[in-house]
Amino acid sequence: MNGMRFAFLCREKPSPTGKKVAIIGAGPAGLSAAGYLVCHGHEVHVYDKLPEPGGLMLFGIPEFRIPIYRVREGYKELENVFEVKFYPNTKISFGDEKEEGDDFIKNVIDFNELVQNYDAVLISTGTWKSSIPNIEGVELKGVYPALGYLFRIKSAKLGHLSWDEVVPLEGKRVIVIGAGHTAVDAAMESLLLGAEKVYMSYRRTIKEAPAGAYEINLLQKRGVKWLELTVPVRIIGENGEVRAIELQKCKLSEPDESGRRKPIPIEGSNFQIDVDYVIFAVGQKPTPPKGADIAIDKWGNIIVDARHMTSMEGVFAAGDVVTGPSKVGRAVLDGLLAAESMHRWLMEVRK
Amino acid sequence: MRRILHVDYSLCIGCETCQGVCDFLHHGKPNIKIYYTMSGLPIPINCRHCEKAPCMEICPVGAIYKDYDGAVIIDPQKCIGCFMCLAVCPFGVPSFDVKVRAITKCDMCVDRRRLGMEPACKEMCPAEAIFFGKPEEVEERVRQRTAEKIARERISTESFESFGKML
Ligand code: SF4
Ligand code: SF4
Repeated sequence: MNGMRFAFLCREKPSPTGKKVAIIGAGPAGLSAAGYLVCHGHEVHVYDKLPEPGGLMLFGIPEFRIPIYRVREGYKELENVFEVKFYPNTKISFGDEKEEGDDFIKNVIDFNELVQNYDAVLISTGTWKSSIPNIEGVELKGVYPALGYLFRIKSAKLGHLSWDEVVPLEGKRVIVIGAGHTAVDAAMESLLLGAEKVYMSYRRTIKEAPAGAYEINLLQKRGVKWLELTVPVRIIGENGEVRAIELQKCKLSEPDESGRRKPIPIEGSNFQIDVDYVIFAVGQKPTPPKGADIAIDKWGNIIVDARHMTSMEGVFAAGDVVTGPSKVGRAVLDGLLAAESMHRWLMEVRK
Repeated sequence: MRRILHVDYSLCIGCETCQGVCDFLHHGKPNIKIYYTMSGLPIPINCRHCEKAPCMEICPVGAIYKDYDGAVIIDPQKCIGCFMCLAVCPFGVPSFDVKVRAITKCDMCVDRRRLGMEPACKEMCPAEAIFFGKPEEVEERVRQRTAEKIARERISTESFESFGKML
């Protein structure tokens, strides 16, 4: 067995408690919670909008970081040994607003119906809404959110999409905006898929890059052109498609009280680069199930108490949808802690 | 039977899953933790259960011993908290636990091994950067993974000539 052991707390299924739990979102938080709950005798059903469980580990993070078999064999153990029931291609309360990864939805289930049918519910739906700055030309063909871009490449690799439906990269010029892990991955995948030229634009310097200087240097060694202290001001199109991007140079302000140095655009420093694609990797927003009457904060994150319970009794939340975009490991830990608390609530409060 | 817990720094992606899982099992005090270098490179630091363990050799009261798998374990009853093990450990691993008032560290998931399970970090690492088992088994697997990495890198150089989809 070379898969992740989400049910690492036990070797086999213990005797059942008779309780039924629904988990919405089969990413690291949801699957770790499922592992905890099956090891404590609960019946677990996992709903996910994607065609396979794994979330960002499978559909966002490139294969050269997380091998596909690690995730696939991992959820298969949950399914085959611990009898977790997976409902793929299923979205809970679909709203009109589109988010990344909606491409595969076949079934839609009402959130309140789910709450009624289970003893407890865990929401671990992550942050699938991409932020795209409101500049001229973002509606052009060839402008993509990084997550959606990576998602399609990974879907093709996993066999859920044909390669014809993936943005063709051979001989193309690509600019990635941002310097976090998603930006790095988007630049790397573009190179691997044969892009002719890859640029990266970041408004601060390599020292501030969230992905770390090491990753940026690695990309530069592989031929990526690093354009630090630049911001996109407009995207120039031709026949509805991207032709070029206009960037403006910035300088960093003196550090403010918090020590952060703000990028200040330099008047008259604009310049243009010819590109075929513009990929925005400038942040992700939480995507809780639509139509759920649950308290969220001003950034859209689900609010939970110390028990990981939302404003609705018996409905818990964990992972990025609570904390905002973080790391796989933090989502795993959050999922485990939420599951522990759900177990306590199921056995002591709900009974 | 000698078994080893090996963390491979070139396969680690810095996702912090090992740390999260260990944190959960040890209630907020993980025995494996990711440290970020100046250049932003993530390095997991944990006990490597050395064959000739300097910590074990230096301990003045003999509080450190090896169990049947070769795991280096500190007996909190015997430990006097002198920090000599920390002074000689090449990885800075031993850590003082205020509550137990003794030095603690990774015990290679001793309770789990007794139940026939493997260290939790190894079971959950998404990148398969952590290995556990007999030395020869672990080495075989590490080499297999490395071979795949080398192949991938070779293909990716070719991808500059548009062979990328072979990946
Ligand atoms: S879980 Fe694996 S890849 Fe993630 S930080 Fe730990 S060793 Fe590295
Ligand atoms: S504590 Fe340090 S010296 Fe002792 S076995 Fe672990 S890594 Fe080796």
